Amino acid sequence: MNSGLRIIVLIKQVPDIGKVKFNVEEGRIDRSSASLETNPFDLNALETAIQFKEHIGGYVTVVSMGPPQAESSLRDALARGADRAILLTDKFFAGADTLATSYTLATAIRKIGFFDLIICGEKTVDGDTGQVGPEVAEHLNIPHVAYVCEIRSATLDRLLVVSDMGDKYLIEVKLPALITVTKDINTPRLPTLRNVLKAKKANIEVWSADDLADYGELCRFGLQGSMTTVFKIVFPSEEGRRGLIFHGEDAVEKLVEVLRERGFIA
Amino acid sequence: MSSLSLDFIEKLKAIVGEDWVVQGEDLVASYVLDETPPPIRPQPHLDVVVVKPDSSEEVSEILKLANQYNTSVFPRGGGTGLVGGCIPTASGVILSFERMNRIIVDRDNLMAEAEAGATLRDLLNASDEAGLFFPPHPGDEGAQIGGLIACNAGGSRAIKTGVMRNYVRGLEVVLPTGEILKLGGKLLKNNFGFDLMQLIIGSEGTLAVIAKAWIRLYPKFPATATLIIPFESRTTAVKAVPKILHAGILPLALEYVEKIPIERSAEHLGLKWPCRVGESFLIVILAEQSNEALYSQCERLLSLCEEFGSLEPLLAESREEQEYILKIRSEIYSSLKPDMVDILDATVPPASIGFFMDEVERIAKRYNTYLPSYGHAADGNIHVHIMKEQGWRMEDYDKVRDEIYAAAVGLDGTITGEHGVGAVRRKSVDKFLNPTHVKLMKEIKRIFDPKNILNPGKVLP
Repeated sequence: MNSGLRIIVLIKQVPDIGKVKFNVEEGRIDRSSASLETNPFDLNALETAIQFKEHIGGYVTVVSMGPPQAESSLRDALARGADRAILLTDKFFAGADTLATSYTLATAIRKIGFFDLIICGEKTVDGDTGQVGPEVAEHLNIPHVAYVCEIRSATLDRLLVVSDMGDKYLIEVKLPALITVTKDINTPRLPTLRNVLKAKKANIEVWSADDLADYGELCRFGLQGSMTTVFKIVFPSEEGRRGLIFHGEDAVEKLVEVLRERGFIA
Repeated sequence: MSSLSLDFIEKLKAIVGEDWVVQGEDLVASYVLDETPPPIRPQPHLDVVVVKPDSSEEVSEILKLANQYNTSVFPRGGGTGLVGGCIPTASGVILSFERMNRIIVDRDNLMAEAEAGATLRDLLNASDEAGLFFPPHPGDEGAQIGGLIACNAGGSRAIKTGVMRNYVRGLEVVLPTGEILKLGGKLLKNNFGFDLMQLIIGSEGTLAVIAKAWIRLYPKFPATATLIIPFESRTTAVKAVPKILHAGILPLALEYVEKIPIERSAEHLGLKWPCRVGESFLIVILAEQSNEALYSQCERLLSLCEEFGSLEPLLAESREEQEYILKIRSEIYSSLKPDMVDILDATVPPASIGFFMDEVERIAKRYNTYLPSYGHAADGNIHVHIMKEQGWRMEDYDKVRDEIYAAAVGLDGTITGEHGVGAVRRKSVDKFLNPTHVKLMKEIKRIFDPKNILNPGKVLP
C-alpha cells in the first residue's frame, strides 16, 4: 500500500436513468428496460479520490453493495484508477432501505480497517435520497460534509472544502471523515482502453453477510434491518404540447378563458 | 405587393385550411433559410407563401394548382441543409411538412412507415420504443425524413451501415404535375421496372415531392463503446484508418478530428475534450451483438494502436460518456460557424485521404489561410472548412474552393459526398461533372417537371 490518504469510495450500479421506463400502473421502475451503469455522481466521487491519489498520494478502495452484476461497475472503477475493489453481495443484503444499506457499508468499512477518507456521490439517480453517505459516517461515528463542490486544500489529516447547500459553506474537516460530492466538483476522466482490458481480468473481492458477521449484526442487514418500505412510486404524468389557434374578434377572450381554465392565470 | 394572386392564395386555403397558409415577410422569415453559412448563402426570395399540407392528397392538390398557375414550389424539411437546397430562389410556395410527422413501426417486417415531416429524432425514438434500431445517423436530429431522403444524407456511420439510400425501401411521392406515385414498399427485393425510387432519392426536391417513406430498421446493437485514439500527427492518424479496416474491425463510425477544432467545440459547449494528449484523433464507435465481441475488437484495436504508434487510447462505455464525446464531435460545425465561409464535403477514395489532406494543407499555405479539416475518415469524406481567419480575403473564395475540388476530383473523388449540390454548388456542376451526365439530368428533369416548377434554381446548372 502506498503512503498517503487511504480512501474508500462507495459506488452503486443503477439503471441508465435517461433510458429507464416506469411502470405507471404498478408504480415501479422497470429495471429491465435500460442498461446498468455506475451512478453518475459516484464517478465524481471516484475522480475526486483519484485526484487526491495523484496529488498527495494514496490508495483507493472501491466498495459496492448489489447483485453479482454490479461487479462490472467495480471493474470500471479499477480501470479509472482504483486499486482495490470489493463487492458486497448476498441475498441477506436484498431489500435494504437507506438505513440497512448504510449499516452494511459501514460494517464492510470496519472490516477493511484503516481509512482516512470516505467519498460518496451526493445521491444515487435511482433513489435520490442523498442519505446513505451521511448515514455511513454516523454509523462509523466520524465527521461528514455533504454536497462538496470544491476541494480548497488537502493534507493527510484535514480537508478544506466548499459545501453547496443552496448557499456555499467553507468547511474544514478533520480526517478520518466522509464527504459526498456534487457533479460540479470535477469532470470524471475516461479510462484508458488498456486499463479497461486489464480490469476485465482483475480480482474483485466478494464479501457475503457471513464475511461481515464479526463486524456487525446480521439482523440489521437487508429487508430485516430496514425501517422503511416503499409501497408505491408515483410518476407525474407528462402532457404533450398542443396548438390552438383562435380567430375573430373574441380571440383574446377565448385565450384568456383557456388560460384561466388551465390555472395559468387567476 | 405579392406577385401571388389572391385567387391562388384562396385556393391554397381551400386545400389545407386557412390556418395552414402563412403569409407576410415576418411570418415566413423562419421558413426561408437553412444552415448554409451566411457568406455564401443565396438571398432568399421573400415573396412566398408557406403551406402546410396534412396528406399526400393535399400535396397533390397544391402541386396541381401550382402547375395551373405556373408557380414555383419549394419543398422544405428541417432546414438543416448546408447548400441552400430549400431556400426559395423565386416567388412561390414553400411546402412545409410539420403536420405530416406520423410514424408507424411494423416490428414483424422491421420497417418504419414515416411521413416526410417526421424528424430523424422521431424516427430514432420510435424505433427504440419498438425495440429496433435505425442504424445510420445522417446528420442533425432535427432534420426531417423527406429532406434526409431527398438529399440522400450521409453522416458518420456510413462506413458500417451506409447512407440514407441504403435504408429506403419504398416512397410515396407526388410528381410536380400532381400525380401520387407509390414506389417500392416494405420490400427487400424489387426488380420491377426502372428504379425510379433510387432516382428520386438524392434528387434534392427537383423531381418529386416525398410524402411518405418505408424505411428499413434493424435489431439493436446491445454492446457499444466509443474510443478516442490520440496521435502526435495527422499522418500517423490517417495511415491507421485502412489498417483498422484491414484488421477486420468495422466500426459504426470512424471519425478524424484535430485538436484545435475539437477543443474549440468543447469550449463552445462549456465542456472539456476528455483527451489530454495528442494533436490528431480518431474517434472509433464500435457496435457489436455481444460484450464478448466488443471486447475482442477492443483487444485487437489496442494491439493495432501499439503497432501504428498511437498515444494511449481512451474508452467510453456508458451511454452518457459516449454521448458526451459525440456531442463535442457533432458541434464542431456550430463552433466554427461564426467565422466560417463554407463547409465543403469533397470525398475521395478512402485510401487517398492522406494525399487529399496534404493537398489541402498546401492550398492553405498558398492562400495564407486556415482550413480546419475533419470528418468521416473511413468514408474518405473530409469536411474542409474555409474560414474568415488568418488574413482571409473573400475574393480568394472561388479559387480556394475550386482548388480543393480539383484536388478531390484529381484523386478520383467528388466535390460533394453528402451535402449535395443545392443552390450553392450549382455553378460547380458544369466544371466538375461530365457534360453527358449533366445533359441526361436535364432531360430527366424535363420529363418529371415539364414546367420547371419544383425547386427551381437548384442542382442543375
